[in-house]
Amino acid sequence: MSQDVLVWCLVAIAVIAVATVVVLIRRTRALGVNKRRSEAALNEQLGALQSQLSVSHAELQQFKNAQQSVISEAERTSEESTKAVLKGAARFLQSLAAEQTTLLDDIQRRYGGHSVLSDLLEVHHANAQMARKAQGIAVMCGAPVGRRNKPASVYDVVRSAQGQIRNFQRIEIMQQSGIALKATAVAPVALAVAELLDNAASFSQHDAPIEVTFQRVQNNLCIVIDDAGVGMNDEDRQKATALLSGDSVPQLSQLGNQPKFGFPVIGLIAGQYGFRVDVTGVSRYGGVRAVVLLPEELWTVEETPPPAEEGDAPISIHRGEGQARAASRTTHGLPKRGSRQAPIAGVPSPAGATAEPVAPAAPRPIRRSSGSSLGALQRGTLSGRDLDAPSPEGAEDA
Amino acid sequence: MRDEADQEPVTPDEVDLDLELTGDLVPLFVITKGRALPPAHQFSHTTLVTAKKDAHAARQLSPEARSVLDLVADGYLSVAEVAGYTHLPLGVVRILLAQMEESDLLVVRNPVPSAERPDRELLSAVLDGLKTRFGA
Repeated sequence: MSQDVLVWCLVAIAVIAVATVVVLIRRTRALGVNKRRSEAALNEQLGALQSQLSVSHAELQQFKNAQQSVISEAERTSEESTKAVLKGAARFLQSLAAEQTTLLDDIQRRYGGHSVLSDLLEVHHANAQMARKAQGIAVMCGAPVGRRNKPASVYDVVRSAQGQIRNFQRIEIMQQSGIALKATAVAPVALAVAELLDNAASFSQHDAPIEVTFQRVQNNLCIVIDDAGVGMNDEDRQKATALLSGDSVPQLSQLGNQPKFGFPVIGLIAGQYGFRVDVTGVSRYGGVRAVVLLPEELWTVEETPPPAEEGDAPISIHRGEGQARAASRTTHGLPKRGSRQAPIAGVPSPAGATAEPVAPAAPRPIRRSSGSSLGALQRGTLSGRDLDAPSPEGAEDA
Repeated sequence: MRDEADQEPVTPDEVDLDLELTGDLVPLFVITKGRALPPAHQFSHTTLVTAKKDAHAARQLSPEARSVLDLVADGYLSVAEVAGYTHLPLGVVRILLAQMEESDLLVVRNPVPSAERPDRELLSAVLDGLKTRFGA
């Protein structure tokens, strides 16, 4: 009996358990469905929000871009207007300096015999430096380099560059080459070399030498500038290379209070005129070796060889015949005087006083215009030489 | 052809704006290497110079110094004549010559100083004195 009760009890418990399980399962299913539904809804919302967000992001970016372009446009216009103003000013200075150079050339020739010449030469040196600075600023602002209309030997071009820096005496040009630069290349190459020389001079000791040599490498002519200054580190080299290649043109406002025009200017004109400049080499003094590489379009070989034949000119002839006119032309086609036994100048000998009323080699040198007095002196000696009489000077003077 | 010719000066403005440099390419102070004039009594107009025999072998001469040396290679020439022939200002020639003399390339003969004339005023004073003393 008690067994039956137990069994019934167990069955009842089992039934209740099963029922509970069924109920539970149903519940969980319902919950799952609910959860999925709400998840989907939430996901949908999230998606919508995300798309909104990306739209706003895009808008923001658009605004940012617009703002950036406005700013850079403003920067560009301000750079351009600054450049335009500066260009005008620099060109003005440039032409004034050029005018002054021409004037100085004239004055130096006019007062060539006067003691003021020393000072004039110094003024000219100062003016040449100013002209270079003006050229540099003008080039930075997009103006062309002043132009020359005559070809010149590369030696003279380097000498011209030499004159444009302060301590030009330190520069030694080691050889003269028989190569001429075409007219269009003369001024730009001179400016580029001047900037390189200035760089070499300012980064080395005041008395250290700077050597310039010329080399022909395949179809290129190299102007090599060696200084004995401090070398450059890798960072400097990279910067310099970027500037010299013209790839990075710094804005005027980036140049700083003590603007360094040198390398940017070189980069610009090298790009314009088709030559290359490299400063990554090491000179034989441990300083910087700068190389200006000129392609053959920019130069020609000069016809006139360096004066070698002069060396064989017969020097021994001159003892016997004073008036001999043989071999009496210089390389420039000028008449050359033969040797004389006696000096031309001196106290006139009293004998043989032929009448030469206007003896131009007059006793008191007149200091007014050395050009005409020199010419007169020269004419005098020439005419005196043509006379057979020993003395051209008259016995009579006022 | 014509088009090209017309096209050629694409940048007439640029060309117009182009600054022509008419000054000497090599300024005189570079030719003199920045040296000062020699003292006035050295290398006066009439000083005679000639090159030493081995001078033409000298290296490292600027073209101007070389042309001066060539000019005086065969005999004496006055400083003024050198200046005339080379078309260089007299002062520049004097500096070059002084430089070359330092490098021992030149023989220099200074002019014989011309005899001093007696002072004209002194003479007339003496004459006046004599006239008043002896009556003339």
